[in-house]
Amino acid sequence: MSKAVTIILQITGLYIIYLLGTLIQNTFNLFIPGSVIGLVILFALLSLKIVPEHWFKQGVGFMIKHLPFFFIPATVGVMSYAYVFEGKGVLLILIGLLSTALVMGISGFVAQWMARRREAAHE
Amino acid sequence: MSSLLPASFIIILTILIYQGALFIYRRFRRIYTAPIILSTVTIIILLLLFGLSYDTYMLGGKWIDYLLGPAVVALAFPLYQYRDLLKRMLLPILVGTSVGAFIGVTSGLLLSKWAGFSELIIHSIVPKSVTTPVAMSIAESSGGVMPLAAVFVMIAGIGGVLIHPVVMRFSRLTHPLGKGVGMGSASHAIGTATSMERDPLEGSVSTIAMVLSAVLVSILAPGLTILFM
Repeated sequence: MSKAVTIILQITGLYIIYLLGTLIQNTFNLFIPGSVIGLVILFALLSLKIVPEHWFKQGVGFMIKHLPFFFIPATVGVMSYAYVFEGKGVLLILIGLLSTALVMGISGFVAQWMARRREAAHE
Repeated sequence: MSSLLPASFIIILTILIYQGALFIYRRFRRIYTAPIILSTVTIIILLLLFGLSYDTYMLGGKWIDYLLGPAVVALAFPLYQYRDLLKRMLLPILVGTSVGAFIGVTSGLLLSKWAGFSELIIHSIVPKSVTTPVAMSIAESSGGVMPLAAVFVMIAGIGGVLIHPVVMRFSRLTHPLGKGVGMGSASHAIGTATSMERDPLEGSVSTIAMVLSAVLVSILAPGLTILFM
């Protein structure tokens, strides 16, 4: 099988798992999105050895290598709401950035501190 | 189908712009040339230049958007590959992400309240650090506006990618575990995509942080909103 066909087939497999996740979300009215439920399903399938790694390896490699590409349509959507940030609205961008910086810096710092302690304890 | 031609044109153009952005990023390695930022800005400028709306772009864009779901599913794979290490480091990831979820909700809420914005806007900004569909449902159930919540999610995502080199230097994040938890907690899947590009271990940590964060923020947001409003 050519590489392109393999990748397309494997991405179709990922899509089916995604649809299954969406189905579960809708059936049980969950707040977790179908894609995240699909992520958990694939992790379980791999961990329980129900599907072998090579079933998804190439398709996954392709998707992850180009992950930012799949976000482009979503991020371009910001243009429709540019008006929110007129005048005083500019403050909202600053608030969003400040809050994001706080989350990133502090959560990462705490995790790193704990991780280093565990590593030190192991040695 | 009359929309087939513009749709293919938009898809091909998006691929070309992304490839161009990738080329520029590999050459200059500056964060504002990150493919997601450069591609988004280029496409928005082109649309504005030709007077085209977002709906027109989505004639083709929706086909790329359909692949976002399976792309998130694909993140399970590196997670599986690093499962032993991640299992050992689950506690640091869990604690770091919980702290992040708490800070994200309270700081967004208090800052926008302090600046005097309406409740509608405050409720839309609160869930910004989690992935779009979750953020929209949290905002909706507390009285925010769904599309506005999605815009704040993008600010946290794109903004996080843009400021992360400075933030990481400032908080001395050098370990893949600290970097991954920071990116996943603050900038959800867009941050995870950036982490994954740099280091698959950091990306896997970011994936877990992103998933945990979605759950934690959905649980924390309603309570904290009542407490602080």
